[in-house]
Amino acid sequence: MAGAGLIDDYVTALDRRLRGPEHVKDDLLAEARDSLHDAAAAHRDGGLTEEAAQRRAVAEFGPVTTIAREYQGLLGLAHGARTLRAVMLVIPLTFVMWELNRRFWIGAWNDFDAPPPDWYLAIARFNDTTAWIVAGVAIVALLVGRRLARTTLSTVTLSRLAGAVAVGAVAVTVLGNVAILAATAYLDVTRLVMSPPVGAATLVSFVIELRLAVLARRCVAFSSV
Amino acid sequence: MKSDALRGHLDALLLATLDGGQLHGYAIIEALQKRSGGALDLPTGTVYPALRRLETAGLVASEWSTVGGRQRRTYRLTKAGQRALAAERTAWREFTTAIEGVLGGGPWPAQA
Repeated sequence: MAGAGLIDDYVTALDRRLRGPEHVKDDLLAEARDSLHDAAAAHRDGGLTEEAAQRRAVAEFGPVTTIAREYQGLLGLAHGARTLRAVMLVIPLTFVMWELNRRFWIGAWNDFDAPPPDWYLAIARFNDTTAWIVAGVAIVALLVGRRLARTTLSTVTLSRLAGAVAVGAVAVTVLGNVAILAATAYLDVTRLVMSPPVGAATLVSFVIELRLAVLARRCVAFSSV
Repeated sequence: MKSDALRGHLDALLLATLDGGQLHGYAIIEALQKRSGGALDLPTGTVYPALRRLETAGLVASEWSTVGGRQRRTYRLTKAGQRALAAERTAWREFTTAIEGVLGGGPWPAQA
């Protein structure tokens, strides 16, 4: 396309202000560039020179700071939805993987020399239900977010809400795992090292949760404009 | 027309432009300007985020397709979008009827 200078400069300036999933960003920028070229072509057909047509197309598109804010909201929302879908699927799967592993290598977990105290059972119950509660919260957040997108609530606000839910979900999951680990260590530390495969599964669970924590942290970063 | 006044109605306007069939982004902007007689003064760059938000809400669907020999993202109404547009039109008619009843009749008769 001939003489795309002003349009290229505008799209580059927009690109520099945006952070988020690359494929979504590329898609948004490709569409913006197409629209600017369409507008410039219409103005050229109306008798403007190439440069004047591009200048007018860029002016009509809007100030780059204003437009970047709207686009950033979309990027934050796309990342937030992706993170919530990951939370919804990965956290229960990780829990099931760990439980199956433990049942195969160790067997029943309640074989302490003495019955575990009530506080330990409470922590265990909390940890056992957390994965399902967190997955349920993620599903509800995705459905509510879809509904809220039909209101006048901005995408920036929606992406912040998604980020808050994702951070909370991952934090509760990590808290449950750390709590049961600490409680087991306090009660009978040998249980933590009695089965290397289960120890490896625990390590894998924490690595997965760390990855989800990074995604959740990015939700907050991408929703900041 | 000021963009602030339009913003609250932008979703309904976008749904209405897609009522006749699928369009790519710039064609939607042209349709908005044409059907408003050029009165809609909105930064065109705000239309695309609004379309994507409507897509997130499930009211429109989009895909890349070849239009006029070029790859363009085209948008179309979903079933939910058609229902939302019908509801918006009903609400708008009720609103304009009520406002017209108050503002449109000229000076009110003096009270005796």
